Amino acid sequence: MALLFLRETMPVVHLSTRSRLTPLAFQLKARNSPTGCLGRRQDPLARTGLDLEQKKYLESALRVNQAGELAATLIYSAQTPPLLKSHPSLRNLMKHMYEQEAGHFSTFNHLMAKHRIRPTAMYPVWSTLAAGLGWATGVMGREASMACTEAVETEIGEHYNNQVKELLTWVEARQARGEAVGEELQGLLGVIRKCRDEELEHLDHAVENDAKEANPYELLTGVIRAGCRGAIWVSERV
Amino acid sequence: MRNILRVPPTIRPLLLHASRAPYHSYEHVQPSPYREAEREILSAGLTHVPTHGFTHEALTTGAKDVGYLEVSTNLFPKGPFELVNYYLVTQRLGLKDRIQFPSEKMGVGARVRSLVLERLRANVDSGVQPRWQEALALMSLAENIPASLRELRDLSDEIWFLAGDTAVDSSWYTKRASLAGIYAATEVYQTTDQSADFRDTEEFLDRRLEGLRTVGSAMGNTMEWVGFQGGALVNLLRSKGVRI
Repeated sequence: MALLFLRETMPVVHLSTRSRLTPLAFQLKARNSPTGCLGRRQDPLARTGLDLEQKKYLESALRVNQAGELAATLIYSAQTPPLLKSHPSLRNLMKHMYEQEAGHFSTFNHLMAKHRIRPTAMYPVWSTLAAGLGWATGVMGREASMACTEAVETEIGEHYNNQVKELLTWVEARQARGEAVGEELQGLLGVIRKCRDEELEHLDHAVENDAKEANPYELLTGVIRAGCRGAIWVSERV
Repeated sequence: MRNILRVPPTIRPLLLHASRAPYHSYEHVQPSPYREAEREILSAGLTHVPTHGFTHEALTTGAKDVGYLEVSTNLFPKGPFELVNYYLVTQRLGLKDRIQFPSEKMGVGARVRSLVLERLRANVDSGVQPRWQEALALMSLAENIPASLRELRDLSDEIWFLAGDTAVDSSWYTKRASLAGIYAATEVYQTTDQSADFRDTEEFLDRRLEGLRTVGSAMGNTMEWVGFQGGALVNLLRSKGVRI
């Protein structure tokens, strides 16, 4: 019995001792030990670098980012024709902003495929809504279009900023543990930072182009920002 | 005592076999879904499937083979279904090592076809094909349906990934759903296939894939036509001075 007790306290049970355990001892050991009876469950962090929570975070973060960039490209491409008809001088600005968004979109598409993340199930819905929003604000005129851009980019910029903050805490935690940060995480951080900076640049362009003059400014930006937050919330989940 | 109460034995397997990690990292090895001892018992059990079928007998014989007590199979409350699930998981994870594409230029469709055939060939090579109807019966029990469907989904995802498909739009869902349907149908067909070298199964698969291609291209063409007409209409109205 004393021998049995000694075995109970051993962290890893070897095959030779295991085959000599009585069935009752085997059962009790299997239930009592958090690692189970048949071997040590390794710390997932030690093996994968990212724990399950972090992987889940990255999965939903990248999914939202892709959906956001999809919406952004569609907003700009639907906004451009009616807007340029009344304000041809905005051609270069719209082209510049559209091209940056298209670049982000293809970056995130690539990351999604690489990391095997499922796209949001609301893909067709977001496409329709984004194109509708872009077209409607485009028809409403220059100020409304810019107010739309301002509202969307404010939300998205904040969203990216939160992701950068979260990833930075991971990087710090790794450095504190004396581990290598890893190219994957560094690369991701770089991509999200670049996107954030470019989105905030669009925000500045929108304000320079009289976004604040839109009428009704509060209502328009309020509705669009609430819509963005709702879309982010849904895309994180489905 | 508290430990005994904390995790009821019926829930434990759910905790052990957490589903595939959502984010696929390339810098670190993906952890194996099975522990060393589980792997030993289950893989030894699988070698007895051709003689005993997917039964408790195969599982206990396997456990005894690798030096565990018969009672250790109590760790697998679902019994024979754990054997089926282990087989499905290991074959899915092993697919990437088994498959070799003859050329880089092979299209995604052709790659999907050879991946499905490779996976079905594994059923024959490992000797479970004559017993596979038992496995299908176990998988169709109400309690096992969620796990079986999850495994089918993961296999479908694995095949599209290995085939090099990079589409991440709505077609991501339709592709995986249709391939899962085709794979399940072909596997059922394979269990009754008497032809030499499973030629009939291959032809069955080709007919299903051809059907999918036809439907897919018809859908694609229709959507393209609708989009083109819509764009043309908008441009026509714009040219007439309508402010849209």
